[in-house]
Amino acid sequence: MFSSSQFEPNSAFSGGGFMSSQPSQAYESSSSTAKNREFQGLVPVTVKQITECFQSGAEKSGLVINGISLTNVSLVGLVCDKDDSKVTEVRFILDDGTGRIDCKRWVNEAFDAGEMESVQDGTYVRLNGHLKTFQGKTQLLVFSVRPIIDFNEVTFHYIECIHFYSQNSESQGQQVGDATQSQIANSSVNTTFQGGSNTNQATPLNPVVSSQNNDGNGRKNLDDMILDYLKQPACTARQQGIHIDEIAQQLKIPKNKLEGVIQSLEGDGLIYSTIDEYHFKHVEL
Amino acid sequence: METSSPAAFVNGALLRRYIGQKVRAVVQVIRSDIGSVIGKSTDEQQIVIKGSPNQPLTIYLEVIGIAETENTIRAEVWTNFGDSFDAQNYNELCKLANGEFRHLFI
Repeated sequence: MFSSSQFEPNSAFSGGGFMSSQPSQAYESSSSTAKNREFQGLVPVTVKQITECFQSGAEKSGLVINGISLTNVSLVGLVCDKDDSKVTEVRFILDDGTGRIDCKRWVNEAFDAGEMESVQDGTYVRLNGHLKTFQGKTQLLVFSVRPIIDFNEVTFHYIECIHFYSQNSESQGQQVGDATQSQIANSSVNTTFQGGSNTNQATPLNPVVSSQNNDGNGRKNLDDMILDYLKQPACTARQQGIHIDEIAQQLKIPKNKLEGVIQSLEGDGLIYSTIDEYHFKHVEL
Repeated sequence: METSSPAAFVNGALLRRYIGQKVRAVVQVIRSDIGSVIGKSTDEQQIVIKGSPNQPLTIYLEVIGIAETENTIRAEVWTNFGDSFDAQNYNELCKLANGEFRHLFI
C-alpha cells in the first residue's frame, strides 16, 4: 500500500521549485538496498547534524550521517559576520538556529561577486556547499548563495532535513512502525497536514508536505503511539506505571527514540513518572 | 564552528518549556506598540514580543530571543517573513522539532 515506489522523491522535490541551482535528482530512492556510500547529491542538513557527525566520526572516513558520507550539503540560515576584506574570497558565518558554521566563498568572477553583494549580515540565505575539514575545524566551501524571498522555504528546508534523515534511518533496517502500517487508513500524520494542504493552494510546498504523509510507512507519530498504549485499561490499572523498556518492547521502537518524546510528553503534562524515573502513567483528567 | 546558543522552534504551547532559554518563533503581527509587539503564534495563541523592530513589519515576523514567560519573548533578532506564510506548516515543524526529531535541532 505505502510502498516507496508510490513516492517519487525526484518529482516531489523538484516540483517544489526551491532547488534551483542544484538539482536533487541525485537522491537515492529509499528502496535501494545497495547503500551508495559515494553519494554526491545535495543533502539538506542542519548545522547541528554536521557538528554531531563531526564529533562522533573518524576524520579518515569523513563526515557521515546515517551511512551517507556528507560532501555536498544544503543549508538555510542567517548570515553573520560577513567579511569581504579580501578580494578573492568572502567569509561569513551561517547561523541556522541549531548552530553556527564557518563559510567561505571564492569570488573569481563578476557573477560570484554580484551574488555575494546581495548577501548582507542578517539576510536569510539558501546555501549549497561542500563540507571540508581543515585543521580540525569543519568549514563550508560555498558554491551557491541565494537570499530567501519566500520564507516558506525556511520551513521547507527543516522539514526536508527531517524527511531525508528519517528516510535514511528507515532504509538502514530500523523497521519502525511497520506493524502499524496496515492500520493506517486515516493516520494522525495525514490529518495534521491535511488542513494546511487544503487551504493553501498557492504554496509550492504542497507536494512535499502531502508526500511526507504517504511516504514510507505513514506511521502515527510517536507521541500518539505512546499515549495510546498508556491509555489502555490494562495499563491505567497498573498502579506502579509502565516501565519505558516495556513501552519500547510493546511498540517495537528503540528506547533511545522514545526517551526524547517521553520527556516532552511529561513536560506537557500528558504523562507522569510514578515509582521512579523510568515508570510512566497517563494523566487522567 | 559551535553549537552554542541554538534556538528552539516554539509555538504558543511550546514556549513555556523554554523559559529563560533562546527560542525562535514566527508570529502574525496583531498590534505594534512602543517597546513591544503583540503577535499571534502559529497555534493561535497570543504572544508578546518585547523590544523594538528595526524596520517596518510585514504580516508575519520571525523573532529570535529569550523566552521570558510562557507568553513573552524578549527579541534580539527580528526578521520579516512576508505577507504570505504557511503558519500551519510551521506549526507542525515546531512539533516535530521538539518531539521525535529534537536531536537534529537542539
